[in-house]
Amino acid sequence: MYWIALSPKPETTNDRTAWTWWALRFTPRVAWVEEEALLLEVSGSLRLFGGRKDLLKLLLSAQDELGAVQWAAGATSPVALALLRCKCRSIPVPQRVDDFALELLSAALPHVPLLERTGIRSWGQLRALPRGGLSRRFGAGLLAALDAAYGERPESFAWETLPEAFDLNVELASLATAAPELMLAAEHLLRRLQLWLQARNLGVLALELEWTLDLRRLNGVRLPPREQLQVRTAQPTQEMAHLRRLVREHLDRATLSAPANHLRLRSLDTVPWGGATASLLPQDRAEGERLHELVERLSVRLGEDCVVVPRSHEDHRPEAKQDWAPARSHEAMPAAEADALYPTWLLPRPVKLSMKGETPCFGGPLRRLARMYRVETSWWDEQGPALRDYFIARSPQAGLVWIYRERPRNLAADLAASTQFDWYLQGLYA
Amino acid sequence: MQPAAALVVPHVWRVPDLAMEDCVLASGHDALDRQLPGGGWPVGSLVELIQARPEAHVWQLVLPALAQATRERDGPVVLVGAPHPPFGPALAAQGLASDRLLWIRTAKDAARLWAAEQALRCADVAGLVAWLPQARPQELRRLHLAARQHRKLLFVVRGLPVLRQASPAPLRLVVEGVEEMQVRIVKRKGPPLEQPLVLPALPARLQALLDSRRRGVVLPPAPAPAPLITEQQRRSHVLDRLVTET
Repeated sequence: MYWIALSPKPETTNDRTAWTWWALRFTPRVAWVEEEALLLEVSGSLRLFGGRKDLLKLLLSAQDELGAVQWAAGATSPVALALLRCKCRSIPVPQRVDDFALELLSAALPHVPLLERTGIRSWGQLRALPRGGLSRRFGAGLLAALDAAYGERPESFAWETLPEAFDLNVELASLATAAPELMLAAEHLLRRLQLWLQARNLGVLALELEWTLDLRRLNGVRLPPREQLQVRTAQPTQEMAHLRRLVREHLDRATLSAPANHLRLRSLDTVPWGGATASLLPQDRAEGERLHELVERLSVRLGEDCVVVPRSHEDHRPEAKQDWAPARSHEAMPAAEADALYPTWLLPRPVKLSMKGETPCFGGPLRRLARMYRVETSWWDEQGPALRDYFIARSPQAGLVWIYRERPRNLAADLAASTQFDWYLQGLYA
Repeated sequence: MQPAAALVVPHVWRVPDLAMEDCVLASGHDALDRQLPGGGWPVGSLVELIQARPEAHVWQLVLPALAQATRERDGPVVLVGAPHPPFGPALAAQGLASDRLLWIRTAKDAARLWAAEQALRCADVAGLVAWLPQARPQELRRLHLAARQHRKLLFVVRGLPVLRQASPAPLRLVVEGVEEMQVRIVKRKGPPLEQPLVLPALPARLQALLDSRRRGVVLPPAPAPAPLITEQQRRSHVLDRLVTET
């Protein structure tokens, strides 16, 4: 057995839970004793973390973030605790367990004055007393604690466990009047979330920020007690760098309807964490963020409709061949019918061309170069069928353009009435 | 007088010999490749294309390099602030698969610059074409440095008024002409190219169609205009039998 005792100086309860969650990353045997020390039994995970020295180094590396701690290690929990108390009280550490002072054993504390009057000052002297008499005079608890300290009796504690879902509410240091002011508290909560994820071995997909409003009504309008903001990402992550930037983008855009006094972070969607994929191939190790992270951040700042990918459809009308969908929620699709004779730019909607006599004009009169094809489709459409003749034409200023004329539904009759076709510009060659 | 280029002085190195880029992608135009330092579009360096109309000739210049970049590596080609929606089937026929496009449409200049820089810093992006008519030199320098750091193909399309401004781009081209592209290299490592290069403004297949219509005769079987068009793709609805039969 190898017990580590930590004594953080907890200012708030959150810091205490943070140390508990951090410790739970290393072993499931984590317990608080007497509100002063955190005990970890790590003999089962020594090998995984590369031995006692490496494990201690890793465990104590959280000090920068969670606050400084005193630590001690021993073969049993009372020994580890006694060593920790020696360190905290700056008492010289005795060489042998037998020489430990009685004050260092919690169970012996109430009996120290009486025992000292009988000349018993150390654990070894106490242990040398007859067991029957000791048990009758001081109760079975002292004897049990002494046995546990010498490793002759198994120890059990109320082990700490992790909550099933992450849900933490913090009070803000000062009222936040604008959403970006929540960022400081949000960063604090995200660090806690990371600890929880690491201990649970999960990756987060979606989380929710919720702030409590300080006012019930503003300008006579009744306000909801809380407001929420959901943040989602495409791939599960334990790294907070991307989530932090995502939350910052969201908060920069959010508005508070009244000053907020509390911020709460909940995990909405988590999946088992498969670990970060590593590769030895040089082309897989390009530095920089991943594509889904880029798309998410751009979508949040610019709006989902501004970051788009093409999707193709089977249709004869060029404008229906492809449409643009938000990249965050859609996959791009390869074009169905590739042809180099199509224009490279397709106008969002056809532009009706002005006419000069019978010639359509766009930057000057257009000269038709080639008739391409005739489209006669979408009779099912509510706007009526598309009856078009497509042409490639040359504009004096804009180069090659792609135009079509709309044929009347009843060609012969309508042409007799008016000899004019409607001409539209739909694409540009460049 | 003897031209300076013809002088052969031992132990004197001329700039064009030194201006070799270590990683280039062919532009698809041999005449242009011969004039570009290193023999193609440099990867990891800002290339500035200056022209009057933002949409003109862009694809004809940059598409072969982008197509090659998407073949060599995963990830999309990001278009920041394209003037019109690009048409996927036409680009796919020239080698740039349309499922590799990511279009960021925003009108604000600051947002375009920010998006372009973020895209350059993304590991999965194959190339970037940005339309930045108003960008200032220091902002372009940021983009140039980001492209260099992350080894990205970067084209910035700008308007004619910026021609008089200083620019951090090591390579600046002015593109003119409607019927055909006239490309002047106003800045490169080495002397600027005074004489404009005349390059075709249309894809080979389209040019073949127009030529055949103009002459009214069937062309002798030309070499396959675009090697990427397969037989299956060739049977399109387009009624240019003159071309498709060759």
